[in-house]
Amino acid sequence: MRCATLLVTFLFSQQAFGEPPDFDKQIAPLLIQHCMQCHSGTEAKGKLNLMSRATAREVIEPGKADQSEAWLRVAADEMPPKKPLSKTEKDLLKAWIDAGAVWGSDPIDPFSKSNAYRAGRDWWSLQELPSKQAGTNRTIDEFIRAKLKSKGLKPSPPADPRSQIRRLYFDLIGLPPPFEVMESFAKNPTDAAYERIVDQLLASHHYGERWARHWLDVVRYGESDSFERNEPRPNAWHYRDWLIRALNDDMPYDRFAKLQLAGDALEPENPESVKATGFLVAGIHNTVLGSNAAMRATARQDELEDIISAVSQTFLGLTAQCARCHDHKFDPITQADYYRISAALGGVFHGERSIDPPVHQKRRAAINGAIVDLEQQINQLEAMAVERAISQQSQKLAIVQPVARWSFQGQPRDTIGGHDAELKSGARITDGMLVLDGKSAHAMSAPLKKSVQAKTLEAWVSLARLDQGGGGAITLESSSGAVFDSIVFAERQSKRWMAGSNNFARTKDFNGPEETEQGKAIHLVLTTSESGEVRLYRNGKLYGQPYQTSPPPVFKAGDAHVAFGMRHKGGSRAFLGGAVDEARLYDRVLTAAEVKQSFEAGPDANSISREEILQQLTATERKQFQEQQKRLEQLKNEMKTVPKPYAVYATNSKAVPQTFVLARGDVRTPKAEVTAGGIASVGGGHDFGLHSEAAEPLRRKRLAEWIARSDNPLFARVIVNRLWHYHFGVGIVDTPSDFGFNGGRPSHPELLDWLAGELIRRNWSLKAMHKLMVMSTAYRQSSAKRPDAGLIDAENRLLWRKSPARLEAEAIRDSILSASGQLNPQIGGAPFHDVRTYGNAGTKYYEPIDPVGAEFNRRTIYRFSPRGERSAILETFDCPESSALTPRRQVTTTPLQALALWNDHFVLRMSKHLEERILAKGSKSISDQVEQAYHFALSRAPTQDELNLGLEYCSQFGLSAFARVLFNCNEFVVIE
Amino acid sequence: MTQLLSRRTFNNWSTSGLATTALAHLLSRDAQAEPLTHFAPKAKRVVHISLIGGLSHLDSFDYKPQLVRMHGKKLETKEMPDIFFGQVGLLRKPDWTFKPRGKSGLMISDLFPHIANHADDLAVIRSMESDSANHTPALYLGNSGFGFSGFPSVGSWASFGLGSLSEELPTYVVLPDPRGLPNGGASIWSNGFLPAEHQGVVFQSGDSPVRDLFPDTPQKGEVEGRKLLRALNEKHAEHSGADDLLKARMRSYELAARMQLSVPSVADFGSETKETQAMYGLERKETRDFGKNCLLARRLLEKGVRFVQLFSGGPIAGSPRASWDAHENVKENHTAEAGKIDQPVGALMADLKRTGLLKDTLMLFTTEFGRTPFAQSGPDLVGPGRDHNKYAFSVWMAGAGTKSGTVYGMSDEIGWKVAERPVTWHDFHATVLHLLGLNHEKLTFYHNGIQRRLTNVHGEVVKGILA
Repeated sequence: MRCATLLVTFLFSQQAFGEPPDFDKQIAPLLIQHCMQCHSGTEAKGKLNLMSRATAREVIEPGKADQSEAWLRVAADEMPPKKPLSKTEKDLLKAWIDAGAVWGSDPIDPFSKSNAYRAGRDWWSLQELPSKQAGTNRTIDEFIRAKLKSKGLKPSPPADPRSQIRRLYFDLIGLPPPFEVMESFAKNPTDAAYERIVDQLLASHHYGERWARHWLDVVRYGESDSFERNEPRPNAWHYRDWLIRALNDDMPYDRFAKLQLAGDALEPENPESVKATGFLVAGIHNTVLGSNAAMRATARQDELEDIISAVSQTFLGLTAQCARCHDHKFDPITQADYYRISAALGGVFHGERSIDPPVHQKRRAAINGAIVDLEQQINQLEAMAVERAISQQSQKLAIVQPVARWSFQGQPRDTIGGHDAELKSGARITDGMLVLDGKSAHAMSAPLKKSVQAKTLEAWVSLARLDQGGGGAITLESSSGAVFDSIVFAERQSKRWMAGSNNFARTKDFNGPEETEQGKAIHLVLTTSESGEVRLYRNGKLYGQPYQTSPPPVFKAGDAHVAFGMRHKGGSRAFLGGAVDEARLYDRVLTAAEVKQSFEAGPDANSISREEILQQLTATERKQFQEQQKRLEQLKNEMKTVPKPYAVYATNSKAVPQTFVLARGDVRTPKAEVTAGGIASVGGGHDFGLHSEAAEPLRRKRLAEWIARSDNPLFARVIVNRLWHYHFGVGIVDTPSDFGFNGGRPSHPELLDWLAGELIRRNWSLKAMHKLMVMSTAYRQSSAKRPDAGLIDAENRLLWRKSPARLEAEAIRDSILSASGQLNPQIGGAPFHDVRTYGNAGTKYYEPIDPVGAEFNRRTIYRFSPRGERSAILETFDCPESSALTPRRQVTTTPLQALALWNDHFVLRMSKHLEERILAKGSKSISDQVEQAYHFALSRAPTQDELNLGLEYCSQFGLSAFARVLFNCNEFVVIE
Repeated sequence: MTQLLSRRTFNNWSTSGLATTALAHLLSRDAQAEPLTHFAPKAKRVVHISLIGGLSHLDSFDYKPQLVRMHGKKLETKEMPDIFFGQVGLLRKPDWTFKPRGKSGLMISDLFPHIANHADDLAVIRSMESDSANHTPALYLGNSGFGFSGFPSVGSWASFGLGSLSEELPTYVVLPDPRGLPNGGASIWSNGFLPAEHQGVVFQSGDSPVRDLFPDTPQKGEVEGRKLLRALNEKHAEHSGADDLLKARMRSYELAARMQLSVPSVADFGSETKETQAMYGLERKETRDFGKNCLLARRLLEKGVRFVQLFSGGPIAGSPRASWDAHENVKENHTAEAGKIDQPVGALMADLKRTGLLKDTLMLFTTEFGRTPFAQSGPDLVGPGRDHNKYAFSVWMAGAGTKSGTVYGMSDEIGWKVAERPVTWHDFHATVLHLLGLNHEKLTFYHNGIQRRLTNVHGEVVKGILA
């Protein structure tokens, strides 16, 4: 209603005086609202563009509405097609045409000025902050009091000392205060004592845990992909730990933001800064895209929308994602703005990154250098021996012996390791070849006799058809088929070879040439090193681009086998049509020279065992060889002492393709090309001046600099409002991630600007802002309801009292752990799992469980948080599912919530622990015990009435039953 | 109008405060009050049967005689169909015979003999289209209008728009296939950004159909504990300022206690006759699971649950298939899946008719997408399986306010693409809300910059299937 009322007065006020309607103020807004969605721009419907005077003339006859097609169609309710204009709007339009259709700004600029329908560039939140020096000596309370006074309201008296401390503890660290702290403050409630507690809490490491949790809501942090497979992200927590550290260190907010946007680009050497970019990829990620190119491209655009949405809402309070398909309907953000940001972020991809600090790299390189030197010496010796050995063989070239070798001479036997294979589903052997029909035929070896990690798969294969896809030539897989590595033909790229793996975990495209040989044997070798380097050779030569990926799994003896002609067990489209002449498995990486040698030697080469080779050495050589082996062993052990690179889920940077504005957001209709930039109406050099091939890191660096600057009107305003929101329950703007037209209007605009200025003046210190807020009398006032004030401002937007608040789900769980003495204070590290993760046919499910043990009693922020089911306490108490950004949590009160807190095994278990904690104090007196239960659960002593009630109940039902009641009390979950 | 408006604005953050909102709702919850809708509703409640994996419309509800004639021929097209595995085999005729059914003569195949008995009650839409041929996004689209997680499901919107008919049962109940949750799990029935009370509540079999309905082991001092809790809360309220919040919490414990009585009683089939149980197929192994869910659905609807959603099919991949995803063999797969649900669904319809509930209960029978008229096989083969088809598929509605014994829309002569009167999920959802008395353009909730709707910025009510 607010908008509609405004509109009426705004549009029609001049009519009363009989003047012709004003184009810019009355007609242009009407056209923008009702006509321009279709009739504007180059793709205007019916080729009618109403934006500019010249083109609009086609349907407007000045002075003669009755002869203007525009008016006739509107009058007949034909246009706009779905929602005809109201009578007053029609009258206005007619009056304007009849009065000569005097045009104003030409063309109409829908973004120039805000109107009743939308925000323009003059929107309040886009205006510069007052100058830096202004208002340095003011206080929060001045602003609050002035506003209250203007409405005839008075602030409330201070809250009682205990409430003040309880409030402070939960707001700053999310945990209940110890009884002793409450008591000591209650005895001496001075401002100085209060301030000391504030300082202590801001210095506590629990502060970072508390406020990182808020931030995780804002940025839609989750630890699984969502969508069909919903794979977990076991290394996402590094971002969460980075946040906690950054907040505890009071990292300046501009740096805090920049690192999250471009830490890897700004400080590539600093592992911490790389972790910060987990922000960009904290959202959902589709990994099952099908085979259609347009579908895949659309999924990528969806992913970019998620990232752009997170960036613009988190740091700018703007919903830029609404401009993906058309100019923003409510805020001055064009579609081109959207794609400019997309060009800045278009190289951001989900995935893991390896973290490896330079100091470790150097050390590893040094040891590695020594190993390489030594290996060269050993190789020389070996080569010499091989030569001698081969020279004793027949004319044929020979190769070094593999772990297993299947020649398919009549039988699928392994002539070396005894891993004989079995023919399945119609596979047969003809002329010394395994023949495969491409439908289901395959062969499978006996279980592996030794474990294999670094490895080489080798096969001579001929393809029956080149238009087949997805089949595997040779595969090493776990017995279930859930983990595998395979030489695969044409799965992701038609006619090209690929290193297949489970969920493409170790697969990247080699981008080798398309296969052209049909019906003729091709020699293929896939090597996977221990560190995860993957190479493919075709006919003795490197095929496409080798790449680095995550280290390969260990295929365990007894729990793995080799398959021929099948990508992996249970895979669809998994079968290869053709024949396998010979196949081999090695438990090491063949060198390029060895591959070449093997190719030239052909499928029926002689193989010579290591023993045979070493026998060729002289006694001196052998001694030398043994010493070298010993030294090599030492070096390898030394290598183990250097910390290995570890994976973190963070931004993966790839080259950005040319970026185009997509008409209606459709990947099939690219329009004008755009280069990296920001939103024009936010100002500050929104064109980054980069060409279309600019390096990816540079783009994000520029974006980060453009966002995190003190003259960005939104950047500081948005974050101080978030802090206010968490301290006061409602932000000065009540939509913390939306400062646009659809968002709320500031209740205290001057205060918001002053706070934003203070943040900048205080060098972006968030802790300074917290202190400013919690030291204010507005914050410290009582939460008691006052009927008189309630009549004027029921929602307490003016802060005549401190609004009471219900604890969030996490704080409830943490408080229960804390009260029962079970809270494990360990900071950071891999998450604890209170879900059972199980796979069902390629999809992961997360079933909530209540595991017992200290490792599970850590604060809830350390919980593994996949997208899916959560415990009843988290779910019913409004812990968000984290698929979408949650700048503000819902607060509901439901019967299911009561059931969860009353019956959940976690609560019952903790009730028992609280009983144990009390009994450990040693007092046999039930009255003492009740007294202590109050100290632990509510940080205060019971009143006489409460004591009597507790005494009666405890004597009958015991302490743990009483603890259950206390955990369910209003006072336990509601903060005054 | 006031009550509805106030509930909606209360829940709406852009215009109102926080905690007060849901509280006022809980405090003003009045099961007897008629929900205030945008216009007179035809349906008071919904039962939604959702088939996971993609039912072949060509083998069930979309009669294509031309496809029979073209069996073994090549699909004449230059475009690369947007299917999942990219294999376009030759055209394949249906594996079941179609017959005219009932007075309406609706053509339904022998795949669903029991459902076919109710042909005169069905409004079949043969011109559904989806934006995705990929399972999970397609399921999200059908359930929430958006192709990814994070958006409220249609059941949550119904709960939000209409509120509860019963204080003692959840408004939106979900009955998953016992073989497992569909891909996406609980996010499929998520309340998204709507308040948590609109989340789908899963009913499981066992003593505690709803999570945490009872403690795992009996606790001492249950009743007295609640009394003590109340007494302590009352004392606390005397000096507290958070009156609404506190009152609402106290009330939530009273409702929880009532739920402890009503949930087990609704899940107990003891009062159902043998005949009824047999009708739902409880005595036969293959129909028992889905039959139980159908019978439970009727009992929940009777007791005032607003939206009951049943899933047929669990996780999507795997072998053997546990869903309708008949890539390998339609005949085998659909025979097994239909064998589980046909009789129970037929029984549910008969039972709803018998009790008169069907008059104001809307039945929905949907799937993720259809299947291709060509086989999923090599280009010169007529393989036994069919791939995903998002261009055309069939769903049906029945009951309250729908036109019975009717067909809406048409696919092309081989059933590949929609030929006439396409219906999108947005249109489908707009129609469901319409039947519930809600205008899909007015049922909105502010979230991250926009007044969100179930139908995004699209959707037209499908008038052709309204009675």
